[in-house]
Amino acid sequence: MQGRPDIIEILRRAHTGEYCSPKDWDIKKVNKSVREVLQKYQLEKTCDQENPINTDFDLADKFYQAGFELALRLGYYVEDTERIITVSQEELENAIKFAPSELFVGEGKDGTWIKARTPADPYPTKVAASLGITVSEDIYLDLVTGIAKEREIDILEAGSVTTVKGQEVLSGTPFETIMGWEHAKMQREARRRAGRPGMGAIGSISAVTELGQFGAYGTPGGFRTSDLALILFPSEMKVDYRTLNKVVHTLIMGGMIKADSPSMIGGMAGPPEGAVVANVACTILSYAILQNHVGGGEIYDVRYLSNVNREGLWALAMVNQALSRNTHLLLHNIANEVSGPVTDKLLYEIAAGMATLACSGASLSTGPRTAGGKLNDYITPLECRFVAEVAHKTSAMEPKVVNEIVKELLPLYEADIKTPDVGLPYQRAYDMATHTPTKEWEDIYRRVKDEVISMGIPLDTF
Amino acid sequence: MDKEQVLKDLCEAVIEGDDVKAVELSNKAVELGLAPLTVVKEAIQPAMDIVGDRFQEGEAFLPELIVAGDAATASLDVLLEQLSGEDSAAAKKGTVLLGVMFGDNHDIGKNLVQAVLSANGFKVIDLGVNVAPKAFIEAAAKENADIIASSTLITTSLPYQREMIELLKAMGKREDYFVILGGGPVTPEWTQKIGADGYGRDAKDAANLCNKLVSGDYKPGLDEPIIENALKSK
Repeated sequence: MQGRPDIIEILRRAHTGEYCSPKDWDIKKVNKSVREVLQKYQLEKTCDQENPINTDFDLADKFYQAGFELALRLGYYVEDTERIITVSQEELENAIKFAPSELFVGEGKDGTWIKARTPADPYPTKVAASLGITVSEDIYLDLVTGIAKEREIDILEAGSVTTVKGQEVLSGTPFETIMGWEHAKMQREARRRAGRPGMGAIGSISAVTELGQFGAYGTPGGFRTSDLALILFPSEMKVDYRTLNKVVHTLIMGGMIKADSPSMIGGMAGPPEGAVVANVACTILSYAILQNHVGGGEIYDVRYLSNVNREGLWALAMVNQALSRNTHLLLHNIANEVSGPVTDKLLYEIAAGMATLACSGASLSTGPRTAGGKLNDYITPLECRFVAEVAHKTSAMEPKVVNEIVKELLPLYEADIKTPDVGLPYQRAYDMATHTPTKEWEDIYRRVKDEVISMGIPLDTF
Repeated sequence: MDKEQVLKDLCEAVIEGDDVKAVELSNKAVELGLAPLTVVKEAIQPAMDIVGDRFQEGEAFLPELIVAGDAATASLDVLLEQLSGEDSAAAKKGTVLLGVMFGDNHDIGKNLVQAVLSANGFKVIDLGVNVAPKAFIEAAAKENADIIASSTLITTSLPYQREMIELLKAMGKREDYFVILGGGPVTPEWTQKIGADGYGRDAKDAANLCNKLVSGDYKPGLDEPIIENALKSK
């Protein structure tokens, strides 16, 4: 791509950029700069908890402008060298300008096009399921095959394993390289068994360091370069050599990068408005610094370890509106639920989160993070199906319409976000002989589906 | 400036995270003859409580917690110098050695815990991210720590938490330090399984847990770990 610093230049800047101590970066640079741009663009206290889905697009555009300025002021902090990688305005503008606006993920008839969208765009957000919830090795293949069989789901990410052939895996050791490869092979097999061998995937979630990727991505039987390589940040506006190693590896393999840039409400960027500005900045910078194809990320509320609360939904809507209205980037985002399988609250949380992302312009939405992604085996294919159903059917809906639906959904679960019911694990939520949902789980799904249809989400009926 | 005004201003300085002013006012309090424990109880602790409450309400954020914690620490350093050994021990809640386990570079949760523990009056030694089990133990000895707090967000770093406890046992040091755990994939069951002393789901839990450990009759190597705020299942 033209006018964007190449990876050699980025690595040089990682060593020669301005020195800054970690604490000065967090407090004096990030926090101070976020406060200043919020003030300059008059964005303070604009979070409207009564209307979580923003309908004032001029406000979204101001968030984009503020985020763009923040990106130029800050750059990325490199944890290993304690130096800052900055880019010029021309470099940033060119990185955005020449970034892809559509991308084919996967192969043949099973693959899918991810396209740049705007709010209420009739082209649907594409859905990757699920997030990296740990799954026992003995049920992994069956469970992931079950997710891949859900035809509404466009791209497979699915759970992660913590053992390989029964052996516990240690981060930062060759175990992780082996795990990356084994995970990738099982994902390929799951797609084959599901009758979707060309289905696109995102990897490798089991082993998130560069060692995991070396084993997983582009290896024989592993993730193909038509799949997306998952590049995670250590935290907002920060990268490290792990991140950069994965970028370099993906580029060498001729693959495609999905960079997930996080922001935290209550974290270094402060209030919801600060998290949005920081997330805009972090996202657009990734295109200049990490050479990614798909970008965007997650905004979480550190108080709730979630983003389906009011402030979280507002921030998700705003950042996607800001970026999708002002760029043609392929934007990714995540809804982070906290309730578990066989609870209606999980489905309400999914409906609110996915409708928010889909109507706000996200190109790719990933979920669910059942039970907050915290508990082993607490994930089932059924809620993955619901994620995709809601996301696809709410993509073309106007934010003002979705706002009214979300306002109906929130009272159904928000009181329990801090102390969620984590429900039941896969082994109790599904019949293990047939790998189908128990009657209890199926009944809850059907009831909630009817409820959200009556609220105005046009899901297909049974 | 009278004693009441000094306490009020010190409280405000800690809330504002103004460490220079906090030190200045702490020295003033000493000059005026205020008992250090009174200053802690009537100025610093209320300030920390206010900042903590504001955080929970979404009115203050991680940076405010960090700078308030720094100001409180700076003030405590001044006040503790004035105390006899016994009183000093009573005023100090304890030293917590904090770090993200080897293999993991995620620092936000750890930073939050650092800030909340500081704001609760603990001396916190932050070892950063990607910390090897042995490095925790060596630092704990060097800093004379009371509690080793380790977190991780990634499952493949979990085994290192167990390795740290096994290493403590092998070195004959398990009874020297409480070991507490936190982080995304860490659960009460894991805490129990590897023989740690406590678990908390978030930063506030970590503070509650540390307060319990240092104020109770507990000794490191608890048979049953203290669990704060576990998730509930159907």
